[in-house]
Amino acid sequence: MTAPARLRIVGGAVHDPANGIDGEARDICIEDGCIVADLPAGAPTLDARGMVVMPGGVDIHAHFASSSCNHARRLIPDEHAADPAPAPRLADGEPLARSGTGGSVPSTFTTGYRYAGLGYTTAFDAAVAPLTARHSHSELDDTPCVDGGIFVLMGNDEYLLRQIEAGERDRARDYAAWLLRATGGYAVKIVNPGGVEAWKTGQRNVSTIDDQVSGRAVTPRAILETLTDAANALRLPHPVHIHCNNLGVAGNSDTTLASMQAVAGRRAHFTHLQFHSYGGGGGQPWSSAAAKVMDYVNAHPEVSVDVGQVMFGSAMTITADAPVEYLLYKSSGRRWTNIDIELETGCGIVPLTYKEKAAVSALQWAVGLELFLLSQDPWRVVLSTDHPNGGSFLAYPALIQLLMDRSVRDEQLKRVNPKLLAGSALADGLAREYTLNEIAIITRAGPARLLGLRTKGHLGVGADADVTIYSRDADLATMFSTPRYVIKDGALIVEEGHLRRAPAGRRLRVAPGYDDALLPDLRRHFERYSTVAFDNYPVADLPGEPVTTA
Amino acid sequence: MSPTTRVQSVTCLGCGCGCDDLVIELAGDRIASVSPPCPLGRAWFGDGRVPWAVRRSGEDSTLEAALADAADVLSQAFGHALVVLAPDVSAQAQRAALALADLLHATVETATSDPAAAGLLAAQRRGRTAATLGEVRNRADVLLFWAVDPSARYPRYWSRYAPDPAGTHVPEGRAGRTVIAVTVGQDRGPAGADRELALNPDQEVPALSVMRAVALGNRLGELPPPLQRAAEIAGHLVKARYSAIVHEAEPGAEPGRDPYRAEGLLGLAQALNGPSRAALSSLRAGGNRSGAEVALTWLTGYPMAVTYRSGAPEYRPASRGVAAAAGEAGATLVVGAASALSDVFWSAAGRTPVVVIGPRASETRSPVRVAVDTGVAGIHEGGTAYRMDDMPLRLRPPLPAERAAVDVLTALLAAVRTRAAARAK
Repeated sequence: MTAPARLRIVGGAVHDPANGIDGEARDICIEDGCIVADLPAGAPTLDARGMVVMPGGVDIHAHFASSSCNHARRLIPDEHAADPAPAPRLADGEPLARSGTGGSVPSTFTTGYRYAGLGYTTAFDAAVAPLTARHSHSELDDTPCVDGGIFVLMGNDEYLLRQIEAGERDRARDYAAWLLRATGGYAVKIVNPGGVEAWKTGQRNVSTIDDQVSGRAVTPRAILETLTDAANALRLPHPVHIHCNNLGVAGNSDTTLASMQAVAGRRAHFTHLQFHSYGGGGGQPWSSAAAKVMDYVNAHPEVSVDVGQVMFGSAMTITADAPVEYLLYKSSGRRWTNIDIELETGCGIVPLTYKEKAAVSALQWAVGLELFLLSQDPWRVVLSTDHPNGGSFLAYPALIQLLMDRSVRDEQLKRVNPKLLAGSALADGLAREYTLNEIAIITRAGPARLLGLRTKGHLGVGADADVTIYSRDADLATMFSTPRYVIKDGALIVEEGHLRRAPAGRRLRVAPGYDDALLPDLRRHFERYSTVAFDNYPVADLPGEPVTTA
Repeated sequence: MSPTTRVQSVTCLGCGCGCDDLVIELAGDRIASVSPPCPLGRAWFGDGRVPWAVRRSGEDSTLEAALADAADVLSQAFGHALVVLAPDVSAQAQRAALALADLLHATVETATSDPAAAGLLAAQRRGRTAATLGEVRNRADVLLFWAVDPSARYPRYWSRYAPDPAGTHVPEGRAGRTVIAVTVGQDRGPAGADRELALNPDQEVPALSVMRAVALGNRLGELPPPLQRAAEIAGHLVKARYSAIVHEAEPGAEPGRDPYRAEGLLGLAQALNGPSRAALSSLRAGGNRSGAEVALTWLTGYPMAVTYRSGAPEYRPASRGVAAAAGEAGATLVVGAASALSDVFWSAAGRTPVVVIGPRASETRSPVRVAVDTGVAGIHEGGTAYRMDDMPLRLRPPLPAERAAVDVLTALLAAVRTRAAARAK
């Protein structure tokens, strides 16, 4: 059977918050991969009566297609061996599928299949070193079922730091644009601004946003301001994507709030906020600062965040924030990989297990939930586990259940180590339960809007026909982990819970303009310091057309 | 006389350095010169001429007939075929070969040498601290060459990466760096070092242990002279701003390398990151060997020694080895330069049908069922290759390919898919 060019999804309870539809029984019509207003009588139908219909899921922040992920894969043969993934049997006439392995960092084809099986149809790798972008695109080529793109690491880049030092912010903006084009990137990413460069020198890290970076006239604040302004000036569809300084450190909420204030009034996205919302420090025990941080977010509509929820169980920490991984290695004694990357960024990897009975793990779990439950605007506080850092994307259904069902949450709360939870809002009892529409916002409509993806995250006319259909189930984790149908670009890729088709995903990238006057100076920089020829650096022959800027 | 043309920014895969700054001069359809001069670069490019034959059982054949035969042979060996990722093809060709392996439920072996495999396994046990070559070039103020002189097998490492070039944090170049040469038995460190240490092979791992202890700040008792010297050198590393420990990950001159060398070096580099910063720079051979491991990892999770026999990738590092796998195989597909494979392999593989797709396949010294000549990655074929530090590089071929490996493999994949689909019905 080939995928029909037309399909009417009949009578499902549609949750399409971007178009103001909250559970109404409606038909959704699809033609040639897009949502259309109506179809002629006799068009093929899919009976969705009694089911829940949502746009395909959009993952705003995960790590699944990068050189760093590949280093992480190499580090966990034990996890792969425990989770073999034979090739799924697709529909007759479809190309044969591919096998792979799972674990916290699955192989590429398995990643695509598992995203599809979860009802997700778009995902972004949130941290790619520019020099390794060519590799990321190769991995994306082998990650079917999801449209995808990459965020490009810039917050510790030598050429950028030099421009900031010299007060050349326009040139820094042009460089950011050139780098996005050269790498086929989608957004500007900052990780621990200045801190990774400090790690590579004797300074080892920065601790406030006003620290000098390795004795230079550059501060994290200046990096934040420069790249935030650059992303906005370039009218990128997604604003600058910021991983703040001091990730995972007690008392880091002060740094997080200072970072938000540094770019106040300007669009900016702060990622995996859970890892940056701790109180304590300075001799005081760890505590939750979720309420304080969320107060700021709630009051500032220009700020958006994804949560980076921690889920109990095995995880893999993969980050460009290399100094953090060194601390994690020293405290955990686990395997540790560190790769310093070419005057651009870093890479640190440590496998980790979050345990209910570990006080810090329990605090992290609680802080994430508090951020969700204290959020007043789900459009700006969206779901992530920072896959695989806080847990796998496969844990999203369990997280949704925690958000929608207080009784499940309270039961788990009874089991976790309470040592650091005194005074936390969760321990004090947060009664809120997310609705299906709010779940549709934080998993689809919100991320798509924050990413500037006009044809994603909704089911209005002209949208991509990416649709997920769930059978209702009293067990919400089961409901969200096994969609009944998933439709990608109009093709039924999951039927009755089984993967039936695995189309290649589309590449999502931008191509902002810049002043060519940048190039002679940049070429000189490459000739003096780079080990890759300037002319060989850009990734050529990328598939698809760039997404237009906002 | 043929007109001369110049092609700039060409990438060389003659060793794992992956220099991409070469200028190739062409005289007609031949490579006339390669600059800057490098003996391995000259040998890698040669005059650029390769055969473009297609053979079936030793006779000239059409490509279609050869691929149909290859598809039959490999399909008949479903569940017990072997795919060998030999050198000199692009990552795109390796990726296509792995699609075939998956489809055939085949076993996959790479050209990973035994010492390199030992290093990969050690890194899986404990992780590793490494850096790209650009970081070594721009930051390292202390370079420790452990039992290797890069001049012979990595001729431009010294001048292109370190210690000679100026870097952002080492503006004086060689004058701003301390070079330490460690010799282990017959594996000599470089000449002209600022400090030296000579060890017998049986002193190597004890010396690494002592050095790690120094890095960790442990108190040491009285040590015999070579180990005392090792402790002193570790003291220099501890005081470095950023040290790079450069070692030969491929086989060296010393026949019996201590199997714990890799673990010792990894442990030392990790420990040095307490008091200082340090990275291990592992020297790997060229021909995109690293690319095979990278592609295999993203597709299976494992860097080498994979079998798809059960229908999903399984890791079998304890029984790895291309010759051993050939002995168990019902048919073998070699993708890449078959000349890199040993006589032991050919003797084991020769009992069953062998298909070779890659550069100079028709010149394979043993009889093969099907041989399809393709271009060489980076000389005739574009795509991506990986440097010794796993950095992906653009290939900018100076010569055209009559037949690209990735295209041949894609056609073979389609033919095998057709047979697999028929089998599934």
